[in-house]
Amino acid sequence: MNITLATALVAGLPLTAAAVAFAHPRVGRMAALGTGLLLLPVLAVLVLEALRTGPWRHNLGGWTAPLGIGWQVDALALTLLALTTLVALAAAVYRVAEGRLTRDSRYRRYFWPLWLFLWGGLNALFLSADLFNLYVILEMVSLAAVALIAAAGGPALAAAWRYFLATLLGSTLYLLGVALLYGQYGALDVSLLSGRAEEELVTLAAAVMITLGLLLKGAIFPLHFWLPPAHGRAHAAVSAVLSAVVVTAAFYLLLRLWFGPFAGMLPGLPAQLLGLLGAAAVLWGGVLALLQRHLKMVIAYSTVSQLGFALLVFPLAAADALPDQAHAGMLMLLLAHGLAKGSLFLAAGCLAWQWGSDHLRRIGPPMAGGSLPAWIAIALAAASLVGLPPSGGFVAKWWLLESALAARAWPWAAVIVLGTFITAGYLWRILRDPLRATSVDSAVVPAQGPPLPIPLAMPWAALLLALAAIASGLFATALRSAFAAGGLAG
Amino acid sequence: MGAPGLAFDGILGAALLWTAWQAIHAAGLFRAVVSFMVFGLLMALAWVRLEAPDIALAEAAIGAGITGALLLSALGRLDWEAGRATDECLRGRDRAFWVPTGLLLLAGLGGAAWLLPAPGLGEPVAAELGRSGVENPVTAVLLNFRAWDTLLEIAILLLGVVALWSLGPTPWPSSPELVSPALPMLGRVLFPAFVLVSAYLLWRGSHAPGGAFPAGAVMGAGGVLMLMAGARPWLSGDVHGPWRWALALGMVAMLGVAFAVMTGGHGFFEYPVELAGRLILLLELAAGLSIALLLFALYLGGEPPADWETRRPA
Amino acid sequence: MTLYLLLAVALLIIGLHGLFVCAQLMRKILALNVLTTAVFLLLVVLAQAAEVLDPVPHAMVLTGIVVTVSTTAVALGLMVRLLERRGGPVSGRDRDSRNS
Repeated sequence: MNITLATALVAGLPLTAAAVAFAHPRVGRMAALGTGLLLLPVLAVLVLEALRTGPWRHNLGGWTAPLGIGWQVDALALTLLALTTLVALAAAVYRVAEGRLTRDSRYRRYFWPLWLFLWGGLNALFLSADLFNLYVILEMVSLAAVALIAAAGGPALAAAWRYFLATLLGSTLYLLGVALLYGQYGALDVSLLSGRAEEELVTLAAAVMITLGLLLKGAIFPLHFWLPPAHGRAHAAVSAVLSAVVVTAAFYLLLRLWFGPFAGMLPGLPAQLLGLLGAAAVLWGGVLALLQRHLKMVIAYSTVSQLGFALLVFPLAAADALPDQAHAGMLMLLLAHGLAKGSLFLAAGCLAWQWGSDHLRRIGPPMAGGSLPAWIAIALAAASLVGLPPSGGFVAKWWLLESALAARAWPWAAVIVLGTFITAGYLWRILRDPLRATSVDSAVVPAQGPPLPIPLAMPWAALLLALAAIASGLFATALRSAFAAGGLAG
Repeated sequence: MGAPGLAFDGILGAALLWTAWQAIHAAGLFRAVVSFMVFGLLMALAWVRLEAPDIALAEAAIGAGITGALLLSALGRLDWEAGRATDECLRGRDRAFWVPTGLLLLAGLGGAAWLLPAPGLGEPVAAELGRSGVENPVTAVLLNFRAWDTLLEIAILLLGVVALWSLGPTPWPSSPELVSPALPMLGRVLFPAFVLVSAYLLWRGSHAPGGAFPAGAVMGAGGVLMLMAGARPWLSGDVHGPWRWALALGMVAMLGVAFAVMTGGHGFFEYPVELAGRLILLLELAAGLSIALLLFALYLGGEPPADWETRRPA
Repeated sequence: MTLYLLLAVALLIIGLHGLFVCAQLMRKILALNVLTTAVFLLLVVLAQAAEVLDPVPHAMVLTGIVVTVSTTAVALGLMVRLLERRGGPVSGRDRDSRNS
């Protein structure tokens, strides 16, 4: 297949499908599933090309920067595109199966167009190398995400509102920084700016604004206040994509900028500050996850905590002892976390359907009523999230730890180890009560009735994602060399 | 610029600051919203002073017009009395924080912005304008150099409509007692004028300020006026019949052209130079029409019914 | 030019201040709009400051205005549903999002 066409399809296909799903609600789920199934081979073509020729760039409309907008295809972009496609496809399968259990018609009619807009926005985001284009895309992703959260109704409306305010403020701060950069260098393209940017006052002010905006959008400690209610109260399929990919998108932009135009300013205070925020997120998010009573809230707080690990890449890469290992570890973490988190939310959705609530004490035992596949998914995803070998989570944390040890950065190494213990703590809490209960009646709080049967595709979607999280660890060496071939540090 | 110009700018600046402050802090939400609309109109003047007539047109039609109508309609749906009773803005709170922070920001950001060399892209745009297919540089940037931005922007308008409709049914026709008796006639007289102005703006856009966005905005504003005048929107039918395609027209046309040019061996959105002018005109027509309809659909504030009489959901 | 630059920063501060200080949801939306307009103003001032009038920020602001009307419309719609559901006054910080 033509490489240019393949790249264009990645961004254009979901948007086209969104228009179709809006005009013809009946074909909405076919449009979503079709998009996912078509994107898989398209992405495979792009990955093979990247392995063959290394990273490349496509100038839209044939106009080179600074005039036109560019697409950047490299290891970082492709990894996140693959993650988006896998999670969005699995969640779509889950949602199609779940659709048989629901009757809420407005939600059903507008779910797929919103979903496809979100998907198209994410794909466009991971391709784009233009800062203003990214602003437009960020608005698109926020708008779609807010509508999808609000679709859950009830208390989710308040959560959606807070998320919307936070994310709109974040976009505006981001745009302010972009305006400053444009005024200074007359360019919006990331790679062009990387060549021109110097360490001076305006660039620093722009970096502060952009970073603040993105920290707010990425729910990075201490600006994470909006995330847990929004992700905890949305429908499970929506939470899966939000937690696995949407917050990662803001983090992705931080990476692009701090290892691009702002790279000269990173060593020293900025790297240490970002690392400190990461460490605080790991510990604070983890402790709060320990205190939650609802399964989905535990998983939502865990997102705050796990993204903190990824932030450690800034001080570790800046320490310059094993920077590639830190990058590879962070990339692996984003991938493994996204897959595991998607799986956990989908599995939590299954259990909430079956037992009528996701309160940890109302969920019945694994052997009752066919909830075993969902429990297996939770166990596998938890194994990867904690970092048990041979999962992707293990490899990610191991690489990060290696880099920390090589740099003799003991505090960061301690954070990684401590964070792992806390992760183990809250994930064990999820498993503890239901495992103790041997029958429906012996659950700590007896269920309202027998577990509701659900379509098998729902837990299987979760299970597939969990298996992918484990598998990413098994193929770690292959992934590591693929990362290197695709231009690791962007 | 001269002294009169400077005096005008000074008065305009002061008025902008005052209306912006009033838009946030005026007692009573109604006054706040009206202040915001005045702020939008004054901004249009500021854009003219800054040599940005395209933005002035868009701001007047969208920033003041459509946004103002949206705000007023939202206000009408809120519990008005309760709103007034609990009107509160903790203005005095945290003054110890806000005054120094404000001064610091003013000095820091103002200073930083003052230092900006602002190299700009005027020269490269002018150099490539000949190959863009249009004479107006802003249109060239919007529909050729950065057409992908514009596609996404229209996608966001459509997404906004989908998001609003997903939240619930439209409240229209909500409060007929608000409509003045003169409005229906006025609306019918004015609507053709709105259509004419939009057509003119669209035609002008290829060589002078104007183009799809102001044109669409003006037409959308005309539609909103008709709705206020008591007209029944045509947007109805099961799954809204062909209307949903009309709403998606702008985005679909842009995607279609972007992919279609690839058959000739070009890249995504890479118009052949000899066809660029005609393709851009086509896109402007499609975008203008669908922007008008999308703004109108946003104003409905929710999903229109399949039948306006029975209000059966679509 | 300097005047409009200062105006942009002043509007930015008014918007930021309003967003944090005002409790009414409608006022938060208005404050966000003022904030966004301030950033647009900065961009257009930069366009004029360039040696040749720069059309790129003009196009960016046109795009931004359309994007903002869309987000404002959805924010208003969400606000109305939220307040209707509460059935209470228009103001007040979101009480029911506190208990999580």
